[in-house]
Amino acid sequence: MGLLMVVLPELQYDIVRSLSESGGRLDASSLAAKVGKRPEDLMRDLEELRAKGFISISYELVNEVSLTDIGQAYLKNGLPEERLRLTLSKQGSARLSELKETLGLDDNELAAALGRLRRFGLVEVRGDLVVLRENLMEGFEKYLADVKGFLDRLREGPIQLKELPSIAEELRRRGMVKVRQVKRIIVELTQSAKDMLAKGELVGARVVTSLTSQDIVTGAWRGLVFKEFDLSIEIPPRPISRKHPFMDFLNYIRDELVAMGFEEVKDNHVDIALWNFDVLLVPQFHPARRETDVFYVKGGVKVRQPPQDVVERTSREHYSMWHYSWRGELAMRILLRTHTTLVTIRQIHQRGGGEYRVFSLDRVYRPDTPDATHFIEFNQLEGIIVGKDVSFRNLLGFFTELAKRLRLGEAHFKPAYFPFTEPSVEGYVVHPKLGPLEVFPGGMFRPEVLRSVGLSTDYKVAAWGVGIDRIAMVALGIDDIRDLYTNNVKLIDSMRGWVR
Amino acid sequence: MPTIRVSLSDLESLMGIKVDLKAIENALEALKGEVVGVEGDYVEVELNYDRPDLFSAEGLARALSIYMGIKRPRHYEVRGPMTTLDATNPPSYRPYAYMAIVRNVRLSDEAIKQLFQLQEILHRDYCGDRELVSIGLYDLDTLKPPFRYIAVEEAKYVPLDYSEEMTLSEILERTEKGKAYAHLVRRGEYPLLVDSEGKVLSFPPILNSEDTKVTERTRNIVIDVTGTEPELMMRILNVVTTSVAERSSEPIVELVEVRGRGFVKSSPDLRWIDMKLSLSHVEGLLGVRLGADAVIDALSKMGLIASYSGGDLVNVAVPPYRIDVSDEVDLIEDVAIGVGYGSFEPTLPPPTHFGSKHPIERLSLAIRDTLVGMGLKEVVNFNLTSSSIMRELGLGDFVELANPKLMDHDALRNSLIPTLLSTAKVNQNLVGRLEAFEVGDVFPVSNGYVKTDRRVGILLMGDGFTLTDAIAIVNSLLRILGLKATLRRCETGYFIAGRSAEVLVDDVSLGCIGEVKPEVLVKLDVTKPVVVGELSISRLMDLLSQAT
Repeated sequence: MGLLMVVLPELQYDIVRSLSESGGRLDASSLAAKVGKRPEDLMRDLEELRAKGFISISYELVNEVSLTDIGQAYLKNGLPEERLRLTLSKQGSARLSELKETLGLDDNELAAALGRLRRFGLVEVRGDLVVLRENLMEGFEKYLADVKGFLDRLREGPIQLKELPSIAEELRRRGMVKVRQVKRIIVELTQSAKDMLAKGELVGARVVTSLTSQDIVTGAWRGLVFKEFDLSIEIPPRPISRKHPFMDFLNYIRDELVAMGFEEVKDNHVDIALWNFDVLLVPQFHPARRETDVFYVKGGVKVRQPPQDVVERTSREHYSMWHYSWRGELAMRILLRTHTTLVTIRQIHQRGGGEYRVFSLDRVYRPDTPDATHFIEFNQLEGIIVGKDVSFRNLLGFFTELAKRLRLGEAHFKPAYFPFTEPSVEGYVVHPKLGPLEVFPGGMFRPEVLRSVGLSTDYKVAAWGVGIDRIAMVALGIDDIRDLYTNNVKLIDSMRGWVR
Repeated sequence: MPTIRVSLSDLESLMGIKVDLKAIENALEALKGEVVGVEGDYVEVELNYDRPDLFSAEGLARALSIYMGIKRPRHYEVRGPMTTLDATNPPSYRPYAYMAIVRNVRLSDEAIKQLFQLQEILHRDYCGDRELVSIGLYDLDTLKPPFRYIAVEEAKYVPLDYSEEMTLSEILERTEKGKAYAHLVRRGEYPLLVDSEGKVLSFPPILNSEDTKVTERTRNIVIDVTGTEPELMMRILNVVTTSVAERSSEPIVELVEVRGRGFVKSSPDLRWIDMKLSLSHVEGLLGVRLGADAVIDALSKMGLIASYSGGDLVNVAVPPYRIDVSDEVDLIEDVAIGVGYGSFEPTLPPPTHFGSKHPIERLSLAIRDTLVGMGLKEVVNFNLTSSSIMRELGLGDFVELANPKLMDHDALRNSLIPTLLSTAKVNQNLVGRLEAFEVGDVFPVSNGYVKTDRRVGILLMGDGFTLTDAIAIVNSLLRILGLKATLRRCETGYFIAGRSAEVLVDDVSLGCIGEVKPEVLVKLDVTKPVVVGELSISRLMDLLSQAT
């Protein structure tokens, strides 16, 4: 039995049971009355039951009979013939000419009333005088009871009759009732439903869209049916509070570098040109040091004196490499760092020899003309690999590994130039839509640079600086670099997250 | 990066073969160049700073021909010296001058344009915009050697591209170049370059003479460099001389004997430099073992002449125009480029040490996670902000840019308050209420010294937010970090009096939070109530490291 049992929503079960109790067949209005609903509220469930094969639905034409205003008035005040007879009973006779007024009837009504009484032989009309005869009272009483009984059935509203009785036709002629043909819905239990019901294979249960704690605690959940979820409905998005996707992405980058054995370091954003340019062997006449390329700082800011040995060595290296007189005062100009090579070169100055990998992921500043891929402030990912056996191939290996970890595909390499590295390389990846993206510049620090900061040239340093904002734009699907740094919460909400 | 414009047909005539753009583009990669534009016969080539010998069609064609195997590097024929340049009475502030003569050149209009372009780029990128070195080219046949480089109080000549004589002072006042470079010369001691009859070649570093200029009829050229840096000048002269010499099938470079104060020297110096290259150094730097033959082949593609010297060593001769080569590593890069970067298999051994995030980033992440968990949204702002907002709010000293690019980003922020208030303004019409935070660096200045301080800022915007809400956030945040705050009144110019609090942990002030004064909001065009505040993560980190 368990296997065959069908659970119906509560209302549908009530419908089936009511039909069964009524001999398996009912019109929709009666059915609705039985289950305590309006007929129109039943239709969807009837349709579902029909679809499940438990009922059949058919239609038939019936006569709908209802009271007219006249019928209503007669029902209340009595029929004209009834009232005429009563008047005559009291008086024995009456003058025709006065009756209209006494009874408040019009000519037609009076004529009809007289006609009825005459048909039963209750009155005689002699000239203007109407005389009652009491001989055939029984037939008239029965007639009256029939008419008033029929009208009484209509008191609560229209009734539907398959066959119209003759009395209805008469009352319609006298304007007491109205008759119109209507279509009636007939609901009938199918044989299989009857059988299942008989075997107890149909049961009813409550349909819910969500479980409540009360359902669980009271055990009502046993009788619940869960409404099937409509997956075609569009669900409104849920507002979120999230970390900024760009900050999240940068944090992911940190994780990757840590996994590759790098230690994160930080340093000054505001410093002297010595650390940003001079120890890196950028000649003082190099165009990258001009005010169009570097933010210099207004007076009033102080810096600590740089180590004298670094200054002396830097001066010497500049002369021997670039063949001009290096000026200490130009190295003391205070600027916003244009790259984080300032950070990594100072790590070498502080740590000296050894084997280590450090990185910096932080803001740098350049007076670029703002456009979709440039702004005056951006992030740079910069790092060094220091050791006696570090080679150019390891630098290429680092780029290859990073490209793999950032899902950028294969890294390709071409010659490049930076004043502080030799050999220098520009690594690029080929994006399916954007084409080649030159995001991996780097090189081996020049021996002059290492000597300037006091590192023995027995050591080699692979140095790299990655345009991380460009990569973030690709990863986050953003077209304008300024949107990476947005404080517009609508825009932040709309960004996609970085999928690791 | 320097970008030059060259004509393909000019390149072809210099290289002596038909060239196709694709082949040139491929070869350019080895020279760190890239075609960035094509316009008819002309191409724009972006080059790198290290190869000034490529800054005109002459040098570019020379390097391309050698790399493509069409030509071998050549030694230019040098004669002389046959004449002199007397520089014994120079201006005191620009005391040096050198000269070179190149004979048998043939110049097209395009060639003259190229030599002009070469001078311009060298002036800009290698000569400190003429401050250190100034270059000039003249038609030798309009002049009577020997030459003199002198200091004068005044003189008169017809400046280049003018038809009338002007005095030196007039040139400084009236010509474009005069106005641009007047700061490089001193009144009473103007530099002047003249021939034996006093005819003016140039008023360096300002303007040459119209009468001695190089034209398509010029066959013999005089080149001068003047300035303050003799070694740099000599190197620049070498580059220009060898480029000019490429405009001749039989060039003859004539030395000029320069008599300066306390020295006599012949210029230019077109000797090739002999260097030694160690094969084990090649292997050490590149990480690949290459045989002597492979190294020699690679170097010759790059225009260097190399031969095996036995043992670990290769002899390398470097041409005088390759002024970028100063150390063995420069040769090794040329080896790497000659071999091709694509031929190195990338390898990265696993690390020998553990990596780690910076502690301030770890703490910042914990704070960001906690605040997001409380339902706040994270925003980001630039460190560069508007100096006027910081002054308006009375936030103390900050770093101001001497040469700002954008006026609303003309200083480094010394607090998160200004950018949080601009966050309120940006979002006030986008959302009803906003609970947001920012984690970022600020750069307060105290006693003139700049400090980097990592902070977390909180912004509550909208009707109904009060100091209570901000304190609740701060208390919950500190509780997660295992700390407990005490509060005391914090009076600033931008908080409503009596509606703000300073947050302290163990008597260390972490920052202030408060309800912003309506007059401040109105001034900043903010139309919704704002509660704002910031705590120093740097100080929190100190507190936490002391606690453990």
